[in-house]
Amino acid sequence: MRRIMIDRYKCEACLGCVLGCMVEHNKKGKSIYDLDLEDMANESRNHVEVDYENRPAPIICRHCEDPECVTTCMSGAMTKNEETGLVEYDKDKCASCFMCVMSCPYGVLKADRINNEVIMKCDMCSNREVPRCVEFCPTRALYMVEVAR
Amino acid sequence: MTLNWMGLNMRKFKTSLYLEIKVYLKGKRYLKGYKIKGGFNMAVNVKTATCESADKILESFIADLDFDTCHHRIGTQDIKCGFGLQGVCCKLCANGPCRVTPDSPKGVCGATADTIVARNFLRAVSAGSACYLHIVEKAAWNLMETGKNKGNIKGKDSLDELASLFGIAEDDEYEKAIKIGERVLGDLYKPRFERMELVEKLTYKPRYDRWQELGILPGGAKSEVFDSLIKTSTNLNSDPVDMLLHALRLGICTGLYGLFLTNRLNDIMLGEPKIRLASVGFKVLDTDYINIMTTGHQHSLFAHLEEALTTDHAREKAREAGAKGFKLIGSTCVGQDMQLRGEHNQEVFAGHTGNNFTSEALIATGAIDLVISEFNCTFPGLESISEELMIKMICIDDVAKKANAELVEYSYEDREKISSYVIEEAIKSYQNRRDKVVINIPENHGNDNTLTGISEDSLRDFLGGSYKPLIDLIAKGYIKGVAGIVGCSNLVSGGHDVFTVKLTKELIKRDILVLSAGCSSGGLENVGLMSPEAADLAGGLLREVCKDLGIPPVLNFGPCLSIGRLEQVATELASILNVDLPQLPLVLSAPQWLEEQALADGAFGLALGLPLHLAKPPYITGSKLVTKVLTEDLEELTGGRLILDDDVVSTANRLEAIILAKRVALGI
Repeated sequence: MRRIMIDRYKCEACLGCVLGCMVEHNKKGKSIYDLDLEDMANESRNHVEVDYENRPAPIICRHCEDPECVTTCMSGAMTKNEETGLVEYDKDKCASCFMCVMSCPYGVLKADRINNEVIMKCDMCSNREVPRCVEFCPTRALYMVEVAR
Repeated sequence: MTLNWMGLNMRKFKTSLYLEIKVYLKGKRYLKGYKIKGGFNMAVNVKTATCESADKILESFIADLDFDTCHHRIGTQDIKCGFGLQGVCCKLCANGPCRVTPDSPKGVCGATADTIVARNFLRAVSAGSACYLHIVEKAAWNLMETGKNKGNIKGKDSLDELASLFGIAEDDEYEKAIKIGERVLGDLYKPRFERMELVEKLTYKPRYDRWQELGILPGGAKSEVFDSLIKTSTNLNSDPVDMLLHALRLGICTGLYGLFLTNRLNDIMLGEPKIRLASVGFKVLDTDYINIMTTGHQHSLFAHLEEALTTDHAREKAREAGAKGFKLIGSTCVGQDMQLRGEHNQEVFAGHTGNNFTSEALIATGAIDLVISEFNCTFPGLESISEELMIKMICIDDVAKKANAELVEYSYEDREKISSYVIEEAIKSYQNRRDKVVINIPENHGNDNTLTGISEDSLRDFLGGSYKPLIDLIAKGYIKGVAGIVGCSNLVSGGHDVFTVKLTKELIKRDILVLSAGCSSGGLENVGLMSPEAADLAGGLLREVCKDLGIPPVLNFGPCLSIGRLEQVATELASILNVDLPQLPLVLSAPQWLEEQALADGAFGLALGLPLHLAKPPYITGSKLVTKVLTEDLEELTGGRLILDDDVVSTANRLEAIILAKRVALGI
């Protein structure tokens, strides 16, 4: 199983991971030049926050072994794929109850900002070998590892 | 000296990184006969693979180098900041850096993406413009001093031509030179509210009228740069359109003064270009000579040295040191200028070796004894290689001062002293280093038959005294149109010169004649596209023309300054046809632009009303307004527009379509 690892002390809060995520999920194209940075529909599934010591903290979905978002999901929209280890989200099944948002121990999940309906959930860039957030990280604060099941 | 890990050359596996175990001799790997004290130091060196080059001999030479060059470092900088790429990062004040995102669409001050992008863009154009204005300023001072001291005037035709254009009535040639210099400097130093006087004399009438209508006739050039810095400072101008118009004004300053006039002033002092075949590439290096490499853009700063190196005294000193003599090794644009005017300096000038991203490889050959720099492109990367190879660095204009270079500021008054000092230091360096360093020159790099010496005048002479024959060839369809391939090389558009060479080949295949000026021409000449044999790569009709005339399908106008000469060619074509420049079947592309200077050149091209292609967007796409004005609306204003395309074939299709549409509009 592949996982995104975070070395938060290397994070410079450049927001490269945030841009990478928006680029990959942009319906208009996959190049940085296709990304309209003024369009509210472009939303990132990860975010960078500032902690109590004023240090940047990249907040990125861990695809937990025992995911709280799946446990609390009443409609079956959040599921753990046992084969890939990924926590997957089906927006068609989602009832927008936001229990997942409330229960995520990392505070990564949020509702989309325009309609407040869909959960912005990391999909590990589907079939991409290296997720865009990792690719866009200039300090290697984000990196990939292969973990045992 | 190099052992590859487990006997395998990992580079063959095309991994981006490979481990190489090196045996270091106390860090002095390149010194022959170095005494090893305390045995070997073993170190594991993680070496980055190098990027692709259009020039394959250069590519493999650099890949095998044990020096760190731009071609190695590009891999270590491959993650680019998306905000930077889109031009929406602002650090003009302490509240920054501010970046535009959907969550934060404005900077703290309230600046929108349009304002931030326009400010960044204008700053870049004004810095580029400042660079070219520095070059013409120095050339004008040198011309005045040449006149006052009754120095060498090699280009008498240019002198008379410019004097009559400026309306200077003097008979004495030295007086003419002084007056020409004064008129140029007088304009450069005007305040912004006073229009420069020479603009009208230097501009094709329909263009001048258009600029006047648009209100973009520039005031004093240096003041235009100065005020653009004010405009783009913290919490001043926030109007994107006003800033883009200012960029056009700077483009006009750059083109007419920085480019066109620099060429003509240098032609007066150093002689006019004459068409001839010349040797290019690393093959011009001859280790029997004391080799002085040049980097920069200011040919007039070498006028005295070129002569001093050919004196009996210099020859004698070189022989005493054990060398056959001195050679000037052309590198970057000043090397292109020396090659362009090579007819006047055949004894000492060895030839042009290559462009910006070839310069580190050039000194890494070990065959260079001294580097004289006076402007860009003088990469900081030269420093560590020159230290390891014990190469003396002298800088003669502090704007290009390298950290390890000795500053010997050029002045006309001290020219003799400076030339003597350079000669002394070159001899000292030659004697000190040649038995201690390894010389490693790639075989068969470059060629002996690059057509050079092409200028607006020499090409007209070649065509029989008028551009009419060229127009006839265009009208009859033998030449579909003309493309100016200009600008730099960068390492991001496919690699070094990769996009430039591919696009050029694509255009000539479609019977489009290519004229090149800038670092682009350095790349094109080394891969043989500027040799008459390259006619075979052109489309059938263009090939026939080239074979008849014995010319290549890609004409070498030399340095980036010669973009000013391309403008003159365009003006002559337009005036014979009695049309304005935007109507010509003429396109510009600076496919691999690198520097702020290239953006100032680009602003000139847009002011002239020409379509201008760039492979990499100039950090503007974060603003819809700036992008729309430059890529669409500008066509209604000047006639020019920006074309952004990073695909070779798609670019060629678009440029060809523009040429065909303009042919239809002209009824040919």
